[in-house]
Amino acid sequence: MFAFSETSEKEIEKQLVKYPPDRKKSAILALLRIAQQQNGYVSPEAMEEIGRRLDLSPAYVEGVCSFYTMYYTRPVGQYVILFCINVSCHLLNCDNLLEYTAKKLNIEVGGTTEDKKFTLLREECLAECSRAPVMRINNDYHVNLTPQKIDQILDSLK
Amino acid sequence: MPKKTQTETVTLTIDGKTVTVPKGTVAVDAAKTVGIDIPVFCYHEKLGPFGCCRMCLVEVEKMPKLATACTLAVGQDMVINTESQKATKGRQGVLEFTLLNHPLDCPVCDKGGECPLQDNTFAHGPDLTRTEFTRYNRDKAVPLSPVVTIDRERCIACQRCTRYSDIVEQETALVMVNRGFQNRVQTFQDRPYETRFSGNVVDICPVGALTNTTYRFKSRIWDLDNAETLCAHCGVNCNIVVGARMNEFMRVQAKSGENSQANDAVDDGWICDKGRFGYGFVESANRILNCRNDKGEALEANDALGQAATQLKKISDEHGPKSVGFIGSPYGTNEELYLYQKLFRQQLKTNNIDFKTYKQAPGLPVDHYDVGDIETSDLVLLIASDPTEEAPVLDLRIKKSVSFFDVKLAVLNDQKTDMDKPAALSLRYNVGSEAETLSALIDALNDKKVRGLEKSAGIAPKLIKELAATIQGSEKVCVIYNPAALNGVASDTILELLQTIGGLPDKQCGAIPVAPGTNAVGALDMGAHPNFYPGGLALSEAEKIKSLWGDESPLQPGFSALEMIEKAAAGELKALVVFRANPVVDFPGGSAVMEALKNLDYLVVHDMLETETTQLANLVLASNGPGYDDGTTTNIGGRVQFRKRSLVREDHPPDWMIISRMIRSLDPEAPSYKNSFDATDEISKNVPGYEAINKKSVKGMGLPRKGFACSEVQGNGAPAAEKPENGALRLRVTNYLFAHDKILDASSPLAHQFKSSTVYLNAEDAKALGIETGGEVKVVSGDVAIDAVAEVSDRCNPGAALMPRVSDEQGLMALVKDPDAATWVQVKK
Ligand code: SF4
Ligand code: SF4
Ligand code: FES
Ligand code: FES
Repeated sequence: MFAFSETSEKEIEKQLVKYPPDRKKSAILALLRIAQQQNGYVSPEAMEEIGRRLDLSPAYVEGVCSFYTMYYTRPVGQYVILFCINVSCHLLNCDNLLEYTAKKLNIEVGGTTEDKKFTLLREECLAECSRAPVMRINNDYHVNLTPQKIDQILDSLK
Repeated sequence: MPKKTQTETVTLTIDGKTVTVPKGTVAVDAAKTVGIDIPVFCYHEKLGPFGCCRMCLVEVEKMPKLATACTLAVGQDMVINTESQKATKGRQGVLEFTLLNHPLDCPVCDKGGECPLQDNTFAHGPDLTRTEFTRYNRDKAVPLSPVVTIDRERCIACQRCTRYSDIVEQETALVMVNRGFQNRVQTFQDRPYETRFSGNVVDICPVGALTNTTYRFKSRIWDLDNAETLCAHCGVNCNIVVGARMNEFMRVQAKSGENSQANDAVDDGWICDKGRFGYGFVESANRILNCRNDKGEALEANDALGQAATQLKKISDEHGPKSVGFIGSPYGTNEELYLYQKLFRQQLKTNNIDFKTYKQAPGLPVDHYDVGDIETSDLVLLIASDPTEEAPVLDLRIKKSVSFFDVKLAVLNDQKTDMDKPAALSLRYNVGSEAETLSALIDALNDKKVRGLEKSAGIAPKLIKELAATIQGSEKVCVIYNPAALNGVASDTILELLQTIGGLPDKQCGAIPVAPGTNAVGALDMGAHPNFYPGGLALSEAEKIKSLWGDESPLQPGFSALEMIEKAAAGELKALVVFRANPVVDFPGGSAVMEALKNLDYLVVHDMLETETTQLANLVLASNGPGYDDGTTTNIGGRVQFRKRSLVREDHPPDWMIISRMIRSLDPEAPSYKNSFDATDEISKNVPGYEAINKKSVKGMGLPRKGFACSEVQGNGAPAAEKPENGALRLRVTNYLFAHDKILDASSPLAHQFKSSTVYLNAEDAKALGIETGGEVKVVSGDVAIDAVAEVSDRCNPGAALMPRVSDEQGLMALVKDPDAATWVQVKK
């Protein structure tokens, strides 16, 4: 079962007043974010609940949720590493760095470490090409990556 | 979607041809009017512009870039070039991308031969491929439901299916998830895609991604003989294309822009899943292949029908014309029912002719609206009708009208239905209080006081007044109602209501009665009624009747179907012909019906499938039925269309021939017909309203017959409310589309949709009875008890038990004694 917490409910209220009642479905991105904030990811039950709130089919909610890579549909670790694999980063060898990171964490790309600390995901252009290669960990950008830098960053999070 | 009434036009040039079309038309459709075919994938006329596949690129003068013709609303003096070098190259490039990961497994793909991707690639694609890498492989043959399969690697992400689910069926059950080349058509969490209308996505998918599971690998489409014909389930009479291979049934498609021309006057090119996947009855193991006598000995059709006619005549001569009767069916064609009433009236001299267990006289006090009128109405008033279960494609039409043509929907019902969602106003009266509710509405429309309704009908007078005001404020009102769901005097009150609305100043009003069956309107028109000759001629119109049907025509009122059962029990009715009906299960009364039929001296059952009733027959006449027989039917909108046969049976005569031979065996002078159209011609001569109906006019879109006025409308006023017995709930029998009966038997591809016996209770009553959702209960009336699982919901007001008819086995109608009176039941744990 999924239920919004009191804090979440308050925030939902704030979001819903932004839209006319017959357009309340526009609040879908906000509600997905609130659900993720609360539980760390958006579960199918949360999608159904959001659908009920906004008069949308659960399938529609899933469609929107899966379109954006920053909504997680599975539980993730405490730190989510989004590793850019797009053109600029690619030219600067991000493939090797990604593999390096995966090895270091001892997981596959897409996986989560056993201690639930790190999740490693591929991501498209993070809009920081001038300082490629780039990864994003939760809300922080890490740029001009090298294996040493990655070691440093990950160690500092341990 | 532009309003149909729009008249402003624009003129432009496409490939040098001058084109004039209504303003707002997109270039693809404009080009079509002068025979120029711009290739498309994502565009579909009924879904509106979308512009995601880029297949339709054209060059437009003064536009710097190629434009998508499916989203381009044409403008005055626009010059469009579809064949310029730039346009051709653009489309070639698009196709190259579309085919990037496509498996190109056309030789084993069911769509091969009728595939827009195949066709467009041949016509517009590059000659050679430049792609030399491994294709992105995706899942093959994944069931979306037991009847629809998806091959994900063939999907070109045109989103026709997902938009259909959103715009047309309005369930948004199918969506695109993920993005880029990973996007994927799916339901929520891959649950089965089970809506009433899921199969339409197979027709509109422009590639072989979505396929009809029951047709997969069964035939190549060029081996099919396709018959453009009609669905034989409900009263919408949707247009279908039945494909058969070497006289073996293969598949049903909607008749649509994909294979022919959609009949927008009937179904808009959509059909429901019962229409598509419920055709298996043509090859059911339960079919009656031969006529037989009560010893079970097979008889030649000619011998059997001769025996039947002689025996009926003998009994009628011996015991008088009142001793023989005919119970027909709203599933017969006009020709079949016309001929049967002729046999009984002209040869057997009786009016004991009927086809239903509810009260309804032919004709209306207002216009009989066609289905298309729904779109141009200001208000649709839906009374006691549940189109989703009873006439599914009507549900789509109503939703479309509300969403795209600003039609207001008001619902008046004793149960919650899917139509409450699109409704602007939705009133729920107590089960059994329809007459009072309708009377109150009439009073409100006449600006009289509405009193006491709250208690007796469960509706606040304020709401009735609001509804009345809505009706008064609408110019064109279309009333859709289910005559079979209006008990007792309500069948008169509804007519009074129609008359009242029609009589309001500056009002256009029409009605669409939606009774169960394929041809309930036609059955009434054909005079399958104890008090009316064909064309709504009341028995009192003796002169007209005599001039049309001869001086000997019976003018005594006959027995209704239910009276015939009573009279059979009493021994007064000696002989009965039952045509494609199963009274033992479908009529109220349960075992009493069976006893009554057993009491007959002579029971002839003329049917295509074995039923509980055929088991009792002294003589069984085999019927080929829909699929094998030609004939016309009249849909809920009064539109007469031709139901062509899709399969051939050469060893057994069609029903119209069986009946006409029965007539001829009693009257050698009677006409003989070479085909069903000869009978249609006779109908057009003898049935008022059908003058223009003939072989030609019933094809294509069909033709509405002329509606006729009903005989005088009686005002009954509201009856006194019936008092419940102690602790009893009032039973309401409702409909379920996929009921497990003889037509949808256990081998049907729709078997996964069968439901178990369920009783819906209001929370208030459930609490008093200590019953919870999921609890096993018995629903009891007198000595009959029906098993059911309880569901506590707000589907009906307190005081009622709502039970959908889910199967023949359920035996639900045994609970009902008299459909015009209240049935009180006890729900016991
Ligand atoms: S399954 Fe067919 S209709 Fe649906 S998006 Fe794919 S190609 Fe289009
Ligand atoms: S809506 Fe009625 S006529 Fe149309 S396909 Fe369904 S059952 Fe057949
Ligand atoms: S490509 Fe990596 S940040 Fe843009
Ligand atoms: S048909 Fe025009 S973009 Fe798809």
